[in-house]
Amino acid sequence: MDGMEFTVKAFHDFLAEGRIMGSRCRGCGAVSLPPRPVCPECGGRDLEWTELEGKGIIRAYTVIHVPLTRMKDRCPYACGVVELDAGPRISGLILGVSEGEKIEVGSRVEAEFVREGARTVLCFRPV
Amino acid sequence: MRLSRDVAIVGAGMTRFHHKIHADKTSRELFVEAALEAADSVDNGFDMRDVEALFVGNFSSDAFEHQAHTAALMADWLGLCPRAATRVEDACASSGVAVNMGALAVASGAYDVVMVGGVEKMRNLTTEEVTDTLAMAADDLYEVAAGFTFPGLYASLATAHFAKYGSSWEQLAAVAIKNHHNGALNPKAHFQSSVMETAKKLGERRGVTFNDEMEFLRSPLNPVIAYPLRLFDCCPVSDGAAVVILAAAEVAKRFTDTPVYIRGLGQASDAMSLHDRADLTTLRATRVAAEQAYKMAGVSADDIDVADVHDCFTIAEVLATEDLGFFPKGEGGKAAEEGRTALDGDKPVNPDGGLKAKGHPVGATGAAMAYEMFKQLRGEAGRHQVEGVEVGLTHNVGASGATVVVQIYGR
Ligand SMILES: [Zn+2]
Repeated sequence: MDGMEFTVKAFHDFLAEGRIMGSRCRGCGAVSLPPRPVCPECGGRDLEWTELEGKGIIRAYTVIHVPLTRMKDRCPYACGVVELDAGPRISGLILGVSEGEKIEVGSRVEAEFVREGARTVLCFRPV
Repeated sequence: MRLSRDVAIVGAGMTRFHHKIHADKTSRELFVEAALEAADSVDNGFDMRDVEALFVGNFSSDAFEHQAHTAALMADWLGLCPRAATRVEDACASSGVAVNMGALAVASGAYDVVMVGGVEKMRNLTTEEVTDTLAMAADDLYEVAAGFTFPGLYASLATAHFAKYGSSWEQLAAVAIKNHHNGALNPKAHFQSSVMETAKKLGERRGVTFNDEMEFLRSPLNPVIAYPLRLFDCCPVSDGAAVVILAAAEVAKRFTDTPVYIRGLGQASDAMSLHDRADLTTLRATRVAAEQAYKMAGVSADDIDVADVHDCFTIAEVLATEDLGFFPKGEGGKAAEEGRTALDGDKPVNPDGGLKAKGHPVGATGAAMAYEMFKQLRGEAGRHQVEGVEVGLTHNVGASGATVVVQIYGR
């Protein structure tokens, strides 16, 4: 893992293994999720991989009724910004929710790794 | 930030923004129409050959019309070749940024007179294709891949705002009602009828009567687009163009006795993805850009007599009026509900109907805001004129706030 570049591909490859991996700045300690080659907090380039547990809360969300073309068949569906308990936030589909009133900002969720063709997508499900 | 010399608008033109009337036109015809109207609006007459450079805001003629290299094309169609023509793409803030680029180019001394405009011809595509195209302004790999549409991003900001401040969808509805009221007074607006008039018309077709706006807005005739946002919380998909002519202060009086000066400008960026922003109830780039513009102009939020803010969604106007400092954080919705942002309120916002009713041909919006300020500050805004305008502000946002540009205008 050391020496592996902080690319979109690497992030997705880890998701395929059921792991949420971000980059941690050795200079200031800031964690970026998804991972990045440059620390957005201090500009540091000395970074390491760090694994995050897929548990957290919804910080913002929506239920989409007018979808993207490729999401047409799942409509309505929920997606949102999830804050992991370790702090970093990430966007994801929120599974099993088709009405806005069923969840709220602050609802607890857990990560699920959903296989979609060749790709693994990070999703969350209310717990 | 400081300008080396003052810059003014000496002429402005725009097409009506609409979803149907431009069906047989392409963006080049729309841009030419707006540019010629801008030239004809110059009090002492304007020769197109006075234009030394052209800046064109355009989001995605590539996807909408299968046409890139938009600025050179517009220069060509206006007979401006071989002058420099530059396209600016910053999503929905494209032509707001183009105004800044044009102003900076004039302030630098490189040019005395430039033309700045924006154009978007969106209605060639289906609603789904437009949804896909607009989503390109978000992070494709990490937001769109998670299912977010463009309305979905603002809907999410709304849930965060509601949760933190106890604001409500009813307050958002007040923004829509106000902006449709204003749009009805603006002959350039996409929608020129109040929410109540629309409710009546749509209700009659289905044999339903609505006693007031809220009853209609809560009904299935106002469907959810992205919870909690409904159709009337969203700007329409429009075609249109807008153009302003900028001149150095030294030469502005050659063109008109009443130029409208750019007193301050600002621009800022922010993390592309919502999940990379610390605060989901504020657009940090708005605060930064506004701070720059206020400082340059030597004014504060209290001095602003009229503002055109970026209300692509009703929640966006609430965020804007708070982040620009018009109202304390969390009280933007309440201010709209109390009528403070109405034409006759103490802080009139979007007198032209805003993106909500005037329409939002993405790349044209920033230039159309400059057009509106040119009219407001000269007392030429007609039925939606705000009384006693000395200082005006424009606020143009790219997508969910990764780009924000602010200008302050004075006489
Ligand atoms: Zn760092």
